[in-house]
Amino acid sequence: MTGKIIKYAFLLLIFFIMIFPLMRMFALSVLTPSGQLSISNFQYIFASNNFGLYLFNSLLVAIVVTFGNIIFCFMCGYVLARRKILGSKFWLYTVLIVLMVPIHIVIIPIYILMNKLGLYDSYWALILPWLVNPIGIFLVRQYVSTLPISLEEAARIDGAGELRILFKIVMPLCRPALAILAIQVFMTNWNSFLFPFILTSSEQYRTLPVALALLLGYQSIDWYQLMAGSVVAVVPIMAVFFVFQRQIISGITEGAFKQ
Amino acid sequence: MKSNRGINGWLLFSPWILTFLIFWMFPLVYSFVISLTDYRLLDPTINWIGFSNYQKLFSDPDFILSLKNSFIFAIGTIPFTTIISLGLALLLNNQFRGRTFFRASYFMPSITSMVVIALIFSNLYARGGYIHLLAQLIGLNPPVNGFLLSQKTALASIMAMDIWMASGYYMLLFLGGLQTIPTELYEAARLSGASRWQQFRHITLPMLKPVTLFIIVINSIKSFQVFIEIFVMTKGGPLNSTFTGVYFVYETGLRQFNFGYASAAAYILFAIIGIVSIIQFKALQTKWQA
Repeated sequence: MTGKIIKYAFLLLIFFIMIFPLMRMFALSVLTPSGQLSISNFQYIFASNNFGLYLFNSLLVAIVVTFGNIIFCFMCGYVLARRKILGSKFWLYTVLIVLMVPIHIVIIPIYILMNKLGLYDSYWALILPWLVNPIGIFLVRQYVSTLPISLEEAARIDGAGELRILFKIVMPLCRPALAILAIQVFMTNWNSFLFPFILTSSEQYRTLPVALALLLGYQSIDWYQLMAGSVVAVVPIMAVFFVFQRQIISGITEGAFKQ
Repeated sequence: MKSNRGINGWLLFSPWILTFLIFWMFPLVYSFVISLTDYRLLDPTINWIGFSNYQKLFSDPDFILSLKNSFIFAIGTIPFTTIISLGLALLLNNQFRGRTFFRASYFMPSITSMVVIALIFSNLYARGGYIHLLAQLIGLNPPVNGFLLSQKTALASIMAMDIWMASGYYMLLFLGGLQTIPTELYEAARLSGASRWQQFRHITLPMLKPVTLFIIVINSIKSFQVFIEIFVMTKGGPLNSTFTGVYFVYETGLRQFNFGYASAAAYILFAIIGIVSIIQFKALQTKWQA
């Protein structure tokens, strides 16, 4: 019994340590400097700091990239699992190697490339490089490999076209893998900072994390407004987390062990 | 029919080949090529200078300092993160009431954006912030202007935040690893009278090797890429005490637009990350096989 009490006390202590900073953020966001409860911080950042636009940009980029990944990673993963294309082993290893290349090495060339292509400071710069990701391809490949091939063969005998088989038969079967992929891609892109920061300069294409980081750099710090902005950036992702908790957690462990 | 399917295969695979070539292969090669030049944004003449960027870097005190800070960051965070996350995983591995709740709440920091976490901790670490107040309360004599404005504590504070943030994530990986251990092993051990510590020492730890290796390697790759927290919290200061490798690349490449020099620095970092990962793989594998 005492063992149990000690255990729960310990669990609660860690809970407090893990959750306290986030609680502090929520608390500051709804207070005024004089300590009164108010939503004026939120009104202010939306009215004078264009947080509506940043919110829209973040949503747009994250959603488009997520859909792109569902479709493209599915197509590519399917090919690696089912088709004999030239050098499919080579492509599989390339996918795995790319996973290990640190991202900072491409910062400067991508900056130069986007400038040369005329895509610097546009939605294209925020979206194009991320439409397919190697982890996603790998996830789909592993999943498709476990599906029985007989369904596809039966459909082929019935005269279904390749695209129809792919998108009407195999894709729905892959729903669990694609759901995990979608959640992870959405979370990564929603929180992404480095590339949106480097590849855009105008307010028009600014995403929430970039806006927040830049806000700190300006004038004297208003923690209350800054925390209100942080809440706007955090609430959607927390909502996603609460709804898809199980999938997120299984997605993380699968990513690490299916290899 | 057969050949038709072959064409389809390439067509389906082309999105990846295209993004791979344009956004990975080309930048990777291009980055190396410009690291051999004196390419600057505002300078129209580009000269081949061979490896002199690399040579210059190794005698550039700023770069050496940034590497030193990156190593301090890695060495100071990895053991703590690994041990804490393993501890949390062991704590949450048994069935008990509220397990899912605790698991989810410990994981919460990992889903939050790094920018937001860095902002929150900037507030907590600042003069009069809650962590600063707490340190005063327990008589630690924290730096007067807050933890991030003192050369002595800035890097350590960012490291502590990083450990806090990452532990929940690696806890999940350890939990996944713990679940792959067959329960029969523990039953057999109990029957032969092994103590809990012996079970942990001789079953749990060896069975967790692959996950631990994975976590250590991933974690060190991440430590060498630390950027956001530095950018948001200290901008490399005070007095360069938090100036790390990727921050050096950003500073020289995208603020001074000295593309050639910055690319060479990026490649050196890349090489260090590669070497460190390989050493870790080898060291941990041989140690565990014995």
